[in-house]
Amino acid sequence: MKKLFTILALIAAILAIILSVLPISNLAFFPAIVSIIFGAVAYYLSKKTGEVKKVIQFIFLLTIMAMSITTYKAIFTETKVASTEALDATEIKLEEEAIEELEDLDIEDIEIDEADIEIDDSDIENITFEE
Amino acid sequence: MLRISLLLILLFSITINSQNNAISNTEKLVYTASYNMSGILTDIAAVTMETNEVKTSKATLLRLKCTATTYSKWDNFFKIRDLYESYVNPKSLTPYLYNRDINEGSYYKNMKYTYNHKTKTVKTVEKKKNNLIKNKTVPINSNSKDIVATLYSIRLYDFSNMPVGTKKTLPIIFDREEIKGQITYLGKETITTAIGKKECYKLAIASSETDVLQGKNSNFLWLSADENKIPVYGKFKIPVGNGELKIKSASGLKN
Repeated sequence: MKKLFTILALIAAILAIILSVLPISNLAFFPAIVSIIFGAVAYYLSKKTGEVKKVIQFIFLLTIMAMSITTYKAIFTETKVASTEALDATEIKLEEEAIEELEDLDIEDIEIDEADIEIDDSDIENITFEE
Repeated sequence: MLRISLLLILLFSITINSQNNAISNTEKLVYTASYNMSGILTDIAAVTMETNEVKTSKATLLRLKCTATTYSKWDNFFKIRDLYESYVNPKSLTPYLYNRDINEGSYYKNMKYTYNHKTKTVKTVEKKKNNLIKNKTVPINSNSKDIVATLYSIRLYDFSNMPVGTKKTLPIIFDREEIKGQITYLGKETITTAIGKKECYKLAIASSETDVLQGKNSNFLWLSADENKIPVYGKFKIPVGNGELKIKSASGLKN
């Protein structure tokens, strides 16, 4: 039982460390919490039997590290967009190409004036239907 | 007299539908796309929706442009630089030309649609890496639009007079295939956004392609309940957690 909790806590701690260095660092909180719970259980069980193994202290150290990295990144990392030069160039290129192509297209229906669509009520009012 | 009034109502409703009172030609909307897992948010990409006027010798068109750019922290892992654009009629949003240029990691694809509304066809050109080019002409419905034009045309509906539960089907041409998108009006809701507290029209979106949008009633879009009807918040179901699209800034609005 003690061994099982130690292993689970260790796995969770390693997962927390891995997640904390990735861009999805915020998600490291989940395995970190799991690791603390399992670590605490393992610590409690070991204390009952007498000796507390070094590995449990190591698990706590890892978890604290993971949480520190995550918190630091959450506070100090700016979410910004960088290196969009290629995209900007594509935008300009595509627009130029599009205008060229649109010149050849038949877009006459766009010229329909709003006035043509509007209905003159007065004419219709004058119409009488014989039932 | 009844017949005449019916005819009038019909004609007027056509005129109203064909007018664009919501989208200006200088609009810029910036969003943050993030991943939400049990309340913990991870920002992934910046999404912008921009419009500008494009003039040709014959006509003036509206260019609708959407870009998705991953934040710098993601660039080393998975860099996304996507561009979707559609050249449309400024009044009815009928599309004439569509471009999709996607750069995701090492994957590249460019897709161009040229609409021919007379023959009801779309000429498609697909370009991939190593200059692989595929041409194909596909038939479309008369009111089919590409994904960008569809997204903007949702804003032309008059939701203020729409009964709750109204469904609208939108034929969308995506990846050379016609799929059916559906929006359901779910009523008004007030939500807090980066641009202030907004009263919104809540819509549920679904599609006939199950792998595009998951679940039947788990994808929502909130449009501001004013004349502009700008999308302010979106929530999308993904296998684990939720995808979210939150507005960051809005400028150049029409009203």
